[in-house]
Amino acid sequence: MSYEKEMAEKLAKGESHADKLDISLLKYLWDASPVSYLTSKETYHDFFKKISVLSSFTDNEVRLFTKFLHRREFQANEVVFRQGDTGYGFYFIFAGAVNIYTNHNREANDQGDLVIKLEKRQYFGEMGLLEEFNRRTATAVAAENTILLGIFKPDLEQMLELHPVLGAKFLRETALIMANRMGQLTKEIVGLKKKIKEIEQRI
Amino acid sequence: MNRNQKIKLSLFLFLLTVAVIFAIVFPRLTMPFGFSYIIYLISKPLTIRLTTGSKKQRLSYFLMILVASLFLVIPVVATLYNVDTDFVSFKTEISQAQKVLQDKFFAFKIKVFEEYGFKINIDPISFIMTKLEGLGSDLLGQFPNYLSVLFEWMLLVPLFLYFFFVESQDLSRDLLEAVPNPIFEKSYVLFSQFNTKFGEYIIAKFIEATILGTIVTLGLLVIGFPYAFILGLLAGITNILPYIGPILGVVPAILIAFLSKDPNVSMVGMLVVFSLANLIDMILVFPLLVSKIVNLHPVIVVVSIIIGSQLAGIVGMIVIIPFIAFFKLLFKEIYKDLSVHL
Repeated sequence: MSYEKEMAEKLAKGESHADKLDISLLKYLWDASPVSYLTSKETYHDFFKKISVLSSFTDNEVRLFTKFLHRREFQANEVVFRQGDTGYGFYFIFAGAVNIYTNHNREANDQGDLVIKLEKRQYFGEMGLLEEFNRRTATAVAAENTILLGIFKPDLEQMLELHPVLGAKFLRETALIMANRMGQLTKEIVGLKKKIKEIEQRI
Repeated sequence: MNRNQKIKLSLFLFLLTVAVIFAIVFPRLTMPFGFSYIIYLISKPLTIRLTTGSKKQRLSYFLMILVASLFLVIPVVATLYNVDTDFVSFKTEISQAQKVLQDKFFAFKIKVFEEYGFKINIDPISFIMTKLEGLGSDLLGQFPNYLSVLFEWMLLVPLFLYFFFVESQDLSRDLLEAVPNPIFEKSYVLFSQFNTKFGEYIIAKFIEATILGTIVTLGLLVIGFPYAFILGLLAGITNILPYIGPILGVVPAILIAFLSKDPNVSMVGMLVVFSLANLIDMILVFPLLVSKIVNLHPVIVVVSIIIGSQLAGIVGMIVIIPFIAFFKLLFKEIYKDLSVHL
C-alpha cells in the first residue's frame, strides 16, 4: 500500500497520523538509507553503527547521540591534549589517526614514547568524561589530518537531563569500555609479574 | 602553536571583540537580549521538566514564551490604563507630603530655637520637593520614549526567547566549531560552568526575592500597614542586590510610616516585619539557596556591586555577582593548570 493511500485511509477512519514533517528525522533516514552508500561520504550513523561498543544503540538513539557531539579537525602533528592537562572529553576517531605518547616533556619539546597508534573508529579519553578531576595520563597527537568527534562533560550532563535513557545507556557503554581496559591492564600486569618472576629465578 | 593555529586563534579573538563592541554600541538590542536570556534561564528547569520524554516540545516552548510575554505586557497595559489618574494622584500626594514634611520641619525648627536658641534658616524640604517634582515632570516628558522602548521589548523579547528555546543549542554548537583546538576543551567547559552558575544564581535570587516579598507582604497585611503589596514587591526586587538591597527595600516603608497621619500605621510594627523577613532570609533562605552558588567574601561582594553599578547601573549591580564568581572559578582553573605544568 502506498503512503498516500495509507494516510487517506487513516484520515477517512479518523485515526491519528503524523501532524508534521520532522525534517531532521527525514534527513537522518536519508543518510541511513542504503542509497546513501552510493556516495563515498560516510555519515555519523554509518560510523557509529560500526563501533562495537555502541552497537546496542537503536537507530534513533544514534541520531540523538550525534546531536551531542562536537566535530574537531586536527592537522597532522597537532596536539589533541597533553599529559597532565585537565581532561573533560571523550573522542572518537572519525577520520585519520592519533598517536598516544607517554613521558611527554613540554619544555624539551619531546613527545615521549609512542604507546599506541589509534586508527579510525577507535576511541580515547573516556576517563576525562567520568572522573571529576581527571588528569590526562598520556599525550594525544594527530598522526595525520584527523577528524575527531568529541563528547564532553557538559554534553553528558545535558544528555542525562534531556534524554535520561540515552544518557544512562551511553554511561553503561562507557563503563564497559573502562571494564575492557581494566581487563587488558590486569592481563598485562599478570604477564609482567610472570616475566619478573622468571627474571628473578634466572638471577 | 603553529602558524595555522595562530591565524585561527587571532580570527576567533577578532570575532569575539567585534561581538563585545556590538553589544556595547547597540544597548537597545543587548538589553532585551540579556533580559530574554535571564527569563530563559529562570524557565529552563521547568522547560526541561515539560519537554523531557515529551513530543510536545514546541508547545512547551510556546507556552513558556506566552507566559513570559504576558508578564511583560500586563504591566505595560496596566500603566497605560492608569497613567493619567496616576499622574494626578502623584501630584496631589507630593503636595500633601510636602505639607506634612514642612509642618514637621517647622515644629522641629521651633523646638530647636526654644531649647538651644539656635535659629535654622535653611529650607531643605522645599528644595527636595522641587527636585522631586522636576523628576516627576522629567519622567512624564520622557514617557513616550519609555513607551517606545517597552513596545520594542514586547516585540524583541518573545523573538529572542524563541531563539533561546529552539535554536540556541544548534547555533552555539556551530559557533563552538570556530574555537581553536588548543583552547576548545577548557573554554567550552568553563563557558558551560559559567552558564550553569549564572542560571543557578538567577533562579536562586528569583526564589529568594519571591520568599522575602511574600513574607513582607503578609506581615504588613497582618499589621494593617498601607501599600502592603507594592512594598512587598519592592522589598523582593531590591533584595536581589546583596547587602544594600534590604536597606533600599525598607526606605519607602519608613517614608510612608513617617508621613502617614493614620494612628494605625505603626513604624515599629513595620520595622519588625522587615527585620523578621530579612532575618529569615539571612538565616534560612540565603545559606540554603544562594551562598553555595556564589561563595564570595562579603567585601568582594560589596566592591563588585559598586563596580557593577558604575559599569551598567542596576542591571550591572545584579549580574556582576555571578560574573565575579565565574572569574574566581576561571582563576582557580588557571592556577590548577599552572601548578601541574610548572
